[in-house]
This record gives sequence, structure tokens and C-alpha cells, in this order.
Amino acid sequence: MTMINGTFFVLAALLVYGTFIIGVLVATRSGKFTPKIRRIAALDSIEEAVGRATEMGRPVHYTPGYGDITSSTAPQTFASFDVLTYVVGLTAKYNTQLIVTCKSPQSFPLIQELVRQAYLASGKPDMFQEDTVRYISDAQFAWAAGVLGIFNREKVAANIMIGYFMAESLLFAEGGAQVGAIQVAGTGNLAQTAFFVAACDYTLIGEELFAGGAYLSQDAVKLGSLGGQDYVKLATMALISVGTLLATFNSKWLVDLMSK
Amino acid sequence: MRRGVPLAIVFIVGTLLLLNYFVANDTLKATSTNLVNWGVIVSAFAVGLASVNLVRIHINKISRQRPGWINSVALVATMAIFISVGIYTKLNPDNAGAKALFQNLFDHSYSPFGSAMFAILAFYVASASYRAFRMRSLEASLLLIAAVLVMLGNAPIGELVWDKFPVISNWLLRVINMTGQRGIAIGVAIGGFATSMRILLGFDRGHLGQGE
Repeated sequence: MTMINGTFFVLAALLVYGTFIIGVLVATRSGKFTPKIRRIAALDSIEEAVGRATEMGRPVHYTPGYGDITSSTAPQTFASFDVLTYVVGLTAKYNTQLIVTCKSPQSFPLIQELVRQAYLASGKPDMFQEDTVRYISDAQFAWAAGVLGIFNREKVAANIMIGYFMAESLLFAEGGAQVGAIQVAGTGNLAQTAFFVAACDYTLIGEELFAGGAYLSQDAVKLGSLGGQDYVKLATMALISVGTLLATFNSKWLVDLMSK
Repeated sequence: MRRGVPLAIVFIVGTLLLLNYFVANDTLKATSTNLVNWGVIVSAFAVGLASVNLVRIHINKISRQRPGWINSVALVATMAIFISVGIYTKLNPDNAGAKALFQNLFDHSYSPFGSAMFAILAFYVASASYRAFRMRSLEASLLLIAAVLVMLGNAPIGELVWDKFPVISNWLLRVINMTGQRGIAIGVAIGGFATSMRILLGFDRGHLGQGE
């Protein structure tokens, strides 16, 4: 059994960074450390959006985006599930209709069960209907057309889009704006973040997407993981600074080490 | 038990696939390939399950004649036509007529609709830009100024007006914009890594639902 060339540094980074995150997570879970999170306007605004939909007697739309649960986009989809659970709780509290649209057939049964159980946990199992979670299509623009149709036919008052998004981001954001929906969005795809910032009322930028679960649930595991991320960021910043200095003095030591 | 089994499957499969990235071993490679193939098979079942949900919702809508039920008729009919022709073409690969019909259905119905949706983006970019670039605040004003400079730098007329527009545009994109983008990208990568670690090691169970 031999290691594949060029993966040694990746493995070392994975172990070191993983130790940081799990270490802080365990410390937080045992109550030895409590990370603090700054206020995130986009997450605070979700209750306002659901409240507005309730006042107007119109539905809330939620989509976890283009991502699935088996590729590199999976972490963003799972981060979206945390926010979805919170949104289900709010719609149950306010008796407001929720429509969840899916593109990925793989994540569809998971989302369906997640929503069903969240309604059950909120004491409103009857609010889960067959058409609460809707699979539209695996094809990007067929899915986009289906969602825009729902916006127009059902006049959604709040549109929450959290997860990985591609070109449909602007279609949804503008479609939502046209029906007058209050819009909260967040994606880790940098190319689409600009569209959300331009067209939505509130936007989660970058890693704020991953803070959603910790921020909304105050769960110790998620808070600890978020605290661990900060230490990983510090270590990464130190590595970038060392690399910059070494490159300035024409040293390739770090580059060679990273390619091992 | 209800949660233990899925968590164990996630840990074992995830660890094996991760090991396969680092270690050169024929048994591990074969096992990983098998696991990925199983994933494809499970995904195929998921497509079936999702399609059943789609058809049930729309059949229900048609039978109760809810508002917009005619759209559901179009969807169910189109699905039926595509599935029938697709299966017939697969079962009769030598039938050139069926093959051409399936290709025509795809090229002359699905593709134009997809292109039309994509084309709408151009109009939406204009309307979103109009709203975002209104000088309502300092941030919006900075956004407007930066956007105008970048547009002038990229449009041929900009260089004719002042040859420094492309230089400024390039600097805005490569220095100011890139700095922010890299910071965000690093944050997203670390966030994704932490989320994956939590799920792989079973610390995060939110996706398994709230019930026991």
C-alpha cells in the first residue's frame, strides 16, 4: 500500500485542519468553549420574510438550489437543509404554506423526509402535503421554468434560496422580484453571488451560508465547527503570509512541500 | 438504530472513498469503483421516485381541475410522449424513423425552450443592474462607479475615449475584485470542509431529520 504522489500535503492539511475543527467542536460540546457569532442580517430577515407571507396569506418558496448530495456541491446543499428545517418551523408556527422545489432527484427524498419530520416536530404534521416538496426536473432550465411558473401562479410572498446555484440564480431572483416577493438568498458560488446581491433583499455571502445552521439553531456541534473554522482560517492566513514572504525571496520551499 | 445504520454507511463509504484518493491499492480502487457504481444505481431509483411525485402532483391537479390544470395536462402528455418514444427507440435501435423522431422531439421542443430560458437572463441582467446601480447608498454608488469603469474598459469605445480605461478596469478586476473573491473562496472552501467532516464523522445529524 503506497501513497499516491502529490497527495501527502493534502492529507497532512486534512488531518491538521480536521483536528482543529473537531477539537473546537468537542470543546464547545462539552461546554469548555463558546464561540460567538456576529449578527447576520440575511438570517435574521428570514422570520420577517415568513411573517410578511403570513400577513399577505401567500406561500413561502424555498429551494436548496442546483447542488446535489453526492458531488462537490453537497456541503452547500447540507448547509441549506439546516436553514430549511428552520423555515419549516417558522411556517408551522405561523400556519403559512411552504413550497419547496427540488432539482436534484437524489436529494428529493431526503428533503421530503426532512420537511415531514420538521412539521411533525413542530406539532403540525397535517401541514405536510403531497405537494409541499416538489421535484421539478433534473434539467437546469426546465427546473427554472417550473419554479418561475410557481412564482407566478401561486404568487409567493417570500422566496428563500440557499445552496449552490448556477445561471438560474438571476432567473429566480428577478422572477421573485417581479411577483413582489421578499427575497433571501445565499450561495457559495462566487459567480452567482453578485446576481443575488443585485437582485435580492438579503444575501448570505460566502461562508455565511455555512454559519446558517449554527446561527439559527445555536446547536453546540455546529457552533463548535464554526469556531474551528476560524482557527483553520488563521492557519491558512499564516500559510499564505509565509508563502508570500518565501516567494518574495525567490524560495520555492513551500511550493515544493505542497506538491509532495 | 434508525440513525445508526445511515451514519455507519456514510462513515464507511466516505472513509473508503477518501482513502482511495490518497492510497494506491488495487483492492481499494476496485471497492471504490463498486461503491460509486452502487451510488449511480441508487440515484437511478431516486429519479424514479422523484418522477412518481411529479406525476402524482400533476394528475391530482388535473383530476381536481385546480387553476392552471391545463399546464399539468401538457406536462404529463409531454412526459408520456418522451418516455414512450425513448423506450421504443432503446428497444428498437435499428429503427431509423423512431431515432429521428426522438432526436427531433429533443432538438425542436426541449432545446428551444431551454435556449429561451437562458436568453431571458440577458433581460434580467439589465433589470437587476438597473435596481442595484441606483445611487441610494455609498455602497451602491461605489458599485455603479466600478461597473461603469469596468464596462468602459471592456467596450472598444472606452479605449478610444481614454486609453487608461482598460488599465483601470484590469486593475479593478485583478486587484480589488480578485482579493475579495479569493477571501470569500477560501471561506467557502473551509466551510465546505468543516460541513463534510461533521457529516462524515456523524457529528451532524440534521439531514436525518428531527425525529427519533
